[in-house]
Amino acid sequence: MKHLITIMQNEFRHFARSTFKIISLFLFIVAAIYGLQNGYTLLKKQKEEIESIKNKNKLTINEVTVWYDAGKKGPDDKPWIDVTTPVRAIWYAPAVAFKEPSELIPFSIGQAEQYGYYKQVTNRSSTMDADLAEEIANPERLMTGTLDFSFAILYLLPVLSIILLFNIGGLEKDLSFNKLIEINNINNKKWLLARFGFYFFLLISLIILLMFTYALLTGALTELAGNFIRFCMLIVFYTALWFGAFYFINLKGKGSAGQAIKMVSLWIILCIVIPGTVHQLVTLKYPASYMTDFLDASREETYKIYDLPSDNIAQQLLTIYPQLAHTQHGKDTLKNELIIGNSTSGITNQLMKNAVKKIENINENKNNFIRNSYFFNPVSWFQNKMNSLSETDYDAYYRYRQTIQQMIDQKVEIQLMDSWNKVKVDKERFLRYVDTFSNINKK
Amino acid sequence: MKQIIINELKMLFRVRVLVYLTALFIITLIMVTWSGSAQTSQQQQQQQAAGEHVREQWESIDNMNPHSAAHYGSYVFKPVTSLSSIDEGINSITGNVLRLEGHMQNEIIYSEASQTLSVSKFGKLKPSLLLQYIIPLLLIFLAFASVSSEKETGRLKLLVLQGASLRSVIFSKAISVWMYGLLLLAVTVAGQMIINSQGIGKDSLIRITLLSLVYSAYYYIITLLSTWFSARLKTNTASLSSMLGLWLLWTIFLPRIWGNTTDKLYPLPSRQNFTAAMQEDRSQGLDGHNPSDKRSEEFKQQTLAKYKVTSLQDLPVNFDGLRMQADEEYGNAVWDKHFGNNYGLLQKQKKFYQLSGIINPFASLQSTGMALSGSDMHHHLDFLQQAENYRRTLIKTLNDQHAFGGSKTGERAQKENNQFYRSISQFEYKMPSWKLISIHYVTDFLLLAIWVLAITIIVFTTSKKIKLA
Repeated sequence: MKHLITIMQNEFRHFARSTFKIISLFLFIVAAIYGLQNGYTLLKKQKEEIESIKNKNKLTINEVTVWYDAGKKGPDDKPWIDVTTPVRAIWYAPAVAFKEPSELIPFSIGQAEQYGYYKQVTNRSSTMDADLAEEIANPERLMTGTLDFSFAILYLLPVLSIILLFNIGGLEKDLSFNKLIEINNINNKKWLLARFGFYFFLLISLIILLMFTYALLTGALTELAGNFIRFCMLIVFYTALWFGAFYFINLKGKGSAGQAIKMVSLWIILCIVIPGTVHQLVTLKYPASYMTDFLDASREETYKIYDLPSDNIAQQLLTIYPQLAHTQHGKDTLKNELIIGNSTSGITNQLMKNAVKKIENINENKNNFIRNSYFFNPVSWFQNKMNSLSETDYDAYYRYRQTIQQMIDQKVEIQLMDSWNKVKVDKERFLRYVDTFSNINKK
Repeated sequence: MKQIIINELKMLFRVRVLVYLTALFIITLIMVTWSGSAQTSQQQQQQQAAGEHVREQWESIDNMNPHSAAHYGSYVFKPVTSLSSIDEGINSITGNVLRLEGHMQNEIIYSEASQTLSVSKFGKLKPSLLLQYIIPLLLIFLAFASVSSEKETGRLKLLVLQGASLRSVIFSKAISVWMYGLLLLAVTVAGQMIINSQGIGKDSLIRITLLSLVYSAYYYIITLLSTWFSARLKTNTASLSSMLGLWLLWTIFLPRIWGNTTDKLYPLPSRQNFTAAMQEDRSQGLDGHNPSDKRSEEFKQQTLAKYKVTSLQDLPVNFDGLRMQADEEYGNAVWDKHFGNNYGLLQKQKKFYQLSGIINPFASLQSTGMALSGSDMHHHLDFLQQAENYRRTLIKTLNDQHAFGGSKTGERAQKENNQFYRSISQFEYKMPSWKLISIHYVTDFLLLAIWVLAITIIVFTTSKKIKLA
């Protein structure tokens, strides 16, 4: 053990004398901090944006409650609006579905820039609406990618490891004094392991220190301690895998240059070629969808419903929502055209849900294809695992879309039930609507 | 010099491993080019099918009020060009579907990237991935020891004694490795041209030629620099680590850092602020669906005065259609202002990003690579512009029919027959010629040329001072 510590101490001296290695480590730390700061800025930005929407919603709620208090039915310049009807009251009750950012976002921005994180929900909304698109961003920058912390770990950390390790054991072979080490009764494997160990502990300590600082800053340490620890362990495991691979390269290597070439080639294969190949294969098997099923549901099929006679619409509504039969309007023998006209969203919502399901199923097939590649595409596995822990992966946004759909369903159902029960909406009921919709976000 | 180049090439191909590696690389390049083309052609078929499907729906409209048809709207699907099979650029990031309707300029949605889990941070395995990332690395591997190993074995002194100048040795060695890179590039280009022989016109030929030129320039920079390092630095390891460091800096580090900086220097509005600002401006204008708003009233009075009548019923045209078009024109001015502002910011970001080519020739290569393949931001913005122009023409045609089609104001039952809807032409995207796009890429071409020149001058002037041992 003492012997190993001595080797590690010597390695420290070797490292301290190598300006190239020190500069590389320094640059990596700068990149990691830059990445963490990028993620932290995104977290703050998303939180601020959500807060600003919530404040705007409060203003809307105040405005509408003032109308109720004053006995008014809506804004003065829009006399056709009547907030005592469920349709208008629900329209004015703010329903915004949020995807609250995880405190772990600084550690992996993931796919956060490819999706929207707030959506105004109406009873005509769907989870594929245009307003759910990502934030406005330069597509060329998105293509190049953001330098976030996970990028630094997944792609730059192995590169830094190459710089730190390529001549470990290689330099001795270059200068032909590797035999000298063996003569000194030093086990080559242990000697190499101790030297590798020094860099491993150096990197891991620095990374954990950086992560700890930002976890304290965002509150992740208290809020998401379990996931934070998992994140740290994932990084340790990832680093260990690279170190393991490089250890064998150096053990069998014949010199620094050869080792460097092998290490870089491995990096290229694992980080660029394999993920690129899988990506290409996914697209070949499942070309990008133009969403025609959804477009048809949201336009063609919806227009067809508008053209249907009231009785037909009522019949379809009663099939989807049998509970409507027990409402006041449900018991009426003559159907009210206005109530029926305002209830079509009950059918279109169902249509769009069916179309979305088809698209989500195709996406799931693509994702399964990607998941099945993980055994030979480990970098993508680590990437998606990190994204999953920071809730910035496809699945996190899929769950968000489900929340949106729940909110739409709730809106549609409440509107149908209250309209068909011919409810007159007062301030209390309006505030109840507001609570119901905002509670879906909290679930 | 010619003799040294020939000798170098002979020596390169005498290494059996390299011959096998080259063969493997060529096969890979051909396969990747084929798969890129196959994917593009598959995507083109899908896009065509989606377009035909939507057109079929439009052509089946019968007995519909023109304004209802404006709300019904249409969809356009972003096309993929044959050249994008070389370099996909931003195509998987941007959306594919754009809804065209009255009262609204929509944004393109449903990007490919949002439809799956994250896979590759460097893009799909397209020829551009190999040409931009892998081949330069291979050239570094071939060149990093080209002079230093001669130094180590003492052959360099021998060469100089035989009359070859150190300068010509460096250039010859660099050129021989560069020619190897050109061979791989030529295979890709030839493969692309053979596979897509039907879709190659004059413009595509110009683009492919220029594409070959920019890649050749970048390979020249990489190989000459590697050879120069090999000559200047004491050991193979030093030369290799320096070049690898530079490669990393250029291809991995700088593009991301510069891209993020660009974003911070010219920040784009948040979606919420963008939408709110547009709605605010829009609400100040004429509302085609609200006859009682102030602007509608003013417009009504102007129209009555123009036609010299006192009531809307006396108008020979349908005022509703005129008001809808006036609403549309006001809206267009609002969209132009806000979308225009965003596009302006994107252009500024792009220009600033292009300046990174001063310290990073890879940025210029990537930028021109995308542009020449028709998959850059300028081609994307051009598509959006052409689609928006079509939307405006489409809605104006519908509003004009509403106004001048023979109905009177307030006649909601006015409906147009199927023949009218069929007579409205379909959207056809015309890819801009390279001549039109090239003005945005003068900086990149210039910077690449400066890099080529500067590296040549540096090697030319400093090679005399390099020690032979």
